[in-house]
Amino acid sequence: MTLQQPALPATAVATRPARLRDRGRLFQEVGMLAPAVALLTIFLVVPFLLSFWTAMTNQPLVPRPTPVRFIGFTNFLRIFKDDLFWTSLWNVSRFTFWILPVQCGLAFATALLLHQKLPFRNFFRGVFFLPAITSMVVVCVIWGTLFQYPTGPLNQVIGFLSGGRIEPIDWLGDPNWAMFSIVLLSAWQAYGFQMIIYLAGLQGIPDELYDAARIDGANALQRFWHVTMPGLRPTHVFVLVITTIQAFKLYTQVAILTQGGPRSSTETVVHYMVRAGFEEQKLGYASAVSVILFLIVLVIALVQRQLLRRFDV
Amino acid sequence: MSDLAIPTLQTEAKRERSAIGSLRVVQTGCILAIALVIVSPLFMLLIASLKDDRFQILADMGSFRAFWAPNPTLSNFAEVSNFSGELAFGRYLLNSLFILASTVGAGLIVNSMAGFVLAWGSLRGRALILSLVIALYVIPQESIIMPLVIMVSRAGMTDTFAVQIVPWVASPLYIFLFYQFFAQLPKELFEAAEMDGASVFRIYRSIFLPLSLPALATVSILMGIETWNQYLWPILVTQTDYARPITVGIATFFGQDSIYWDRAMAASVLMMIPILVLYLAFQRWFVSSFIGSAVKG
Repeated sequence: MTLQQPALPATAVATRPARLRDRGRLFQEVGMLAPAVALLTIFLVVPFLLSFWTAMTNQPLVPRPTPVRFIGFTNFLRIFKDDLFWTSLWNVSRFTFWILPVQCGLAFATALLLHQKLPFRNFFRGVFFLPAITSMVVVCVIWGTLFQYPTGPLNQVIGFLSGGRIEPIDWLGDPNWAMFSIVLLSAWQAYGFQMIIYLAGLQGIPDELYDAARIDGANALQRFWHVTMPGLRPTHVFVLVITTIQAFKLYTQVAILTQGGPRSSTETVVHYMVRAGFEEQKLGYASAVSVILFLIVLVIALVQRQLLRRFDV
Repeated sequence: MSDLAIPTLQTEAKRERSAIGSLRVVQTGCILAIALVIVSPLFMLLIASLKDDRFQILADMGSFRAFWAPNPTLSNFAEVSNFSGELAFGRYLLNSLFILASTVGAGLIVNSMAGFVLAWGSLRGRALILSLVIALYVIPQESIIMPLVIMVSRAGMTDTFAVQIVPWVASPLYIFLFYQFFAQLPKELFEAAEMDGASVFRIYRSIFLPLSLPALATVSILMGIETWNQYLWPILVTQTDYARPITVGIATFFGQDSIYWDRAMAASVLMMIPILVLYLAFQRWFVSSFIGSAVKG
């Protein structure tokens, strides 16, 4: 009985016309692809295309009796005339300018350290990665206390190290310091990710290259400059680009800790967009901001592709 | 050493070795300093959550008492662990866990099926779909969120669990990660099963899926962290405690005139526990997942 049974379906498959079988297979493939394609269409493609349309209307957040009107590029013109928008763009640029050296530099330095054969290096790698799995909301709670003025931990440490010569800093309350404070906590939170990427990049450089350089008489500095750095070029591009894109999307920490203040010194593009859409209820206007944000991200991504392509050759 | 006119290879090596020795000390010092900067804020959070006087917490913060709780108490945790009414962090935590499990569970199925068909299917236009999926990867969540809010409120989905789960189940990145993993498995695997008369779904379900533990782990971890930390989307689409996730709950502490740091700290520790447990159990997977996410765009 057990011997004969498997033979039955096998012959059934063999005698079924090949066309029918192919069609069955096609159905299955379409069925397996359909959920993903449907979800991506409804929740990504449609809202994406819709954002271009909404951006050209006076769509409010709550439906009003008056119909929504097509107003062309009026929203964009208004955005470009709004000083606060330019301030927010300037602020995220300032943020990027600080976060790239602080976060990526620190991540690169740590990766170089951990790449040596130090004791407990896997343990340290695990520890350094802890903030990266900590939610930004929790990071805001922690740093909200660290930034306390005038006797918070950060001010105490700086006062101690400088022997009291440096006055306490009002980290989040001083317009000159607020964005840099956001940089500090953002770098603390995300640098573990960059460190891991750099470590993987370092491990990808073959040992033979170092041996060859050593035989040619290159010292440690020369080996770093002529073997390590060229080998890490794609990693550098990836890390710098991903950090820049993240910087332009800066939102959570600012929304929680400073609400764009003091005196708009931490206003960001996304925060500006959410405020326009939900506090001022101008969804059309907010959509226009989101289109601009997309174009910025697109340009950065295209630059990355070009750079990577050049290095691959 | 100076009387040696010609440095032999041996002394050269010896000099380099002693230089390495002192370098080691500097390196270890640097590592320990970084570890201090990373760990002490997290440790302060834990200690502060065990103190029940919120003014004392701030006063202690500026000194070494921040690292020591003389009378540790769990009263902050008891205060915030309600399931209804004020400070319903018990409920928020369960909400977040439910949203996490549903999104990751559905996401694993939907994205892996799509990735499998794109890698091994016979559909015409597969390559086109794949390049479209990769192109969609560049669209940031932030730039589709405005029209998406109109869509879900028209559909009457505001303030539900579904609105926090369904839109984020399918994702270009995870489809691509699965595609990439399936595509590098040997061709013979597919052909042998096909010869035996197994259907495409059967091959996916019984042969390829059991082999894809690394891909499943990577996507679970990346998707899990992303879902767990969602903040912008839930503040836009949740209005009541019903489906509010813990990120939004913690953020409400900052809206008050005087922040209850003791409770905020306890809620933060509550939020960290699940992810920390997973991290300690699967550390190796976490690290390799983040490397895996660094695919060339």
